[in-house]
Amino acid sequence: MSEPKIAVDLILKKLTENTEQAKSRAQKASEVLLGPLETDLSTTPFEVVYEEDRMRVKYYKPEKVTHKYPLLIVYALINRETMLDLQPGRSVIQTFLDNGIEVYMIDWGYPTRKDQFLTIDDHVNMYMDNVIDFILEKHGLPHLNLMGICMGGAFSVMYSALHPEKIKNLVTTVTPTNFDTDTGLLHIWMRNTHAYDMGSAYGNMPGDLMNLGFLLLNPARLIIDKYVGFFEHIDNKDFVENFVRMEKWIFDSPDVPGTTFRQFITECYQKNLLIQNKLELDGKRVDLKKITMPLLNIYGKFDHLVPPEACEHLTQKVGSKDKEDICLDTGHIGIYVSSKCQRLFAPKIAGWLREREDTPKKATRTRKKKTPAAETAAPKTAATRSVKAKTTKAEGAETKAKIKKDTAAARSKPKRAKK
Amino acid sequence: MDDKHQTTPEEMFSFWMKSAMDFWQNMATVQPEASTPFGFPGFTDAGEKAKKGPTRKAQKNFEAGGKIFQSLMKSFSKPENLDAMMKGMDSVPDLAMVMMKQAMEGYQELQKQFMERAAKMGQQSKAYNFEDIDQDTFRAIRELYEKEFQKFLKVPSLGLTRFYQERFNDYLDKHNLFQTSLSEFLYMFYVPIEKTAGVMQEKLEEMAETGEIHDDFNQYYKMWVKILEGHYMTLLKSPEYTQVMDKTISSLVQYRDAKEAFVCDLLQRLPIPTNREMDELYKEIYHLKKKVRALSKQVDGRPSPKKG
Repeated sequence: MSEPKIAVDLILKKLTENTEQAKSRAQKASEVLLGPLETDLSTTPFEVVYEEDRMRVKYYKPEKVTHKYPLLIVYALINRETMLDLQPGRSVIQTFLDNGIEVYMIDWGYPTRKDQFLTIDDHVNMYMDNVIDFILEKHGLPHLNLMGICMGGAFSVMYSALHPEKIKNLVTTVTPTNFDTDTGLLHIWMRNTHAYDMGSAYGNMPGDLMNLGFLLLNPARLIIDKYVGFFEHIDNKDFVENFVRMEKWIFDSPDVPGTTFRQFITECYQKNLLIQNKLELDGKRVDLKKITMPLLNIYGKFDHLVPPEACEHLTQKVGSKDKEDICLDTGHIGIYVSSKCQRLFAPKIAGWLREREDTPKKATRTRKKKTPAAETAAPKTAATRSVKAKTTKAEGAETKAKIKKDTAAARSKPKRAKK
Repeated sequence: MDDKHQTTPEEMFSFWMKSAMDFWQNMATVQPEASTPFGFPGFTDAGEKAKKGPTRKAQKNFEAGGKIFQSLMKSFSKPENLDAMMKGMDSVPDLAMVMMKQAMEGYQELQKQFMERAAKMGQQSKAYNFEDIDQDTFRAIRELYEKEFQKFLKVPSLGLTRFYQERFNDYLDKHNLFQTSLSEFLYMFYVPIEKTAGVMQEKLEEMAETGEIHDDFNQYYKMWVKILEGHYMTLLKSPEYTQVMDKTISSLVQYRDAKEAFVCDLLQRLPIPTNREMDELYKEIYHLKKKVRALSKQVDGRPSPKKG
């Protein structure tokens, strides 16, 4: 008789062991779940310094202010800005504060039915402009640093193009500016369906429907595997706390004002007007060439929501001389919450802003090619080596030639009054 | 009666008519004086009083109804009218048969689709390929609904409440169409699970033949979820899925609009403002606020009051 190919006895033995493990895990799990859990989000102290309609602005003050220009963070309308302050030890806000930066952050709040008629122009040229004016007036400054995240980054790009004089340095993170790509599922769906009609049908685009859409991007991992993983580690208190915190954040989805949603889908996703300099807000064209301030553009290599193809074209289209792309080996959310990226992301931004603290706004500073190890201000770790920084090519010679050309052209043409 | 004579339906009907006519004639001609309020003879005073008041009125109405029925029965008992009525009644079964036949044909078509679908279950399903998704069943359901049932909801409404009827019918129609689209959409998410089961089966057979059986069930789970993820990634990018998604979204939007219109009709009867009314107000407020902000900026160079 030949030996059986399937070791049934081993399988049964393993099954017994697994059952015993499961029993022990269940006992520990009940202690963890029924005991005290620290799952609060956004624990860094702040003060609400500005409110307008549903929007409010949070102000985070560092112990010691070492940066002259404050940083205004503009988050997306989807999900909440609390992700930037997820927990102690994983807080982008705290990192900025540790680097002496005064941080203002827009909290877009929870739109109600009355907000359904707000447009992108209202968000950019009204809310953002009012907030920036308020901050500039408060500090007595002519401009400030602006950082945008995802859709907030797109708003920041639009604002910087329309009001370049108010922005000293611009940082865009996981920001979609080019929507003509089929790399991301979101791009395929938004371009091939009438999803924008849902905003009109419901008044505002319901956050719950958007959450469902995001879950459907990868149902196997996000609906099944994620919770299997949770149950496997349910006896680990730290894991459970982190998991619950993320669950709290990810399903805290405000509605998106219907008109803004419709506009963003049709004019950005479907017509791709932003990167083509054809987008208009209240009759004013958003011309990316008018973005002349230093630009730092960070995105994730494995971002399934905003793929690199949607982000990397921005630096080619702006008028800035000082511009830099950084592609991190992470996804859309990992860029803010993963402990690895915490050591790369926020310190890099703080360092980049510090380098440009004293430079005059109109300086044509050339960004020379540097090795990835030399660029980051973060302490060098094994994770740092994985950062791939992309700099613009042949900037040195090209910039010099252009400066000469521009200077010659400026001398020959009469000066135009600034708007 | 002659044993050999077979009674025709017309004769039976005529006999029944005559009997009914006689009965009601007798009922109608009962003297009011002979009947007292409590049916006891001798209470002539009560009988006198019964001549007047509500009882007498009810009796008069009863007499009138009886006479109308008499004249109807008389008319029906005429041979030519009886003949016409019997012909009309003959056509009722034919009409019912036609309707039944249509419904049965539709149902049979649907069942045929189900049987073909069931037969396909034994066939090999290509992994990571979604061109052969069986959407014919849903197409058949939708066609059956549109062909056989939708027309009843599209019948023009009449009368004072015609608009309300129309909106209610539209709501039902859009609800049914949405349910069909949603079923198809949900089915799309089931297909990768089915395909993954097939691929897992093949892999397990290969592993069993080579003796590479894991004793850790976690490995099988990881294998299964990876294959499932691959299938979903392929499905979600496919044009078939995008089309179904678009159809579902469109039907959802239409259903939502129809429901909104119907609910507005209901709420109008109650002291509750409808979404439509509130939206109009919100729009006015939005435009007013925008104007105030612009004017405020012009006047003092600052936007409207804010917390500083």
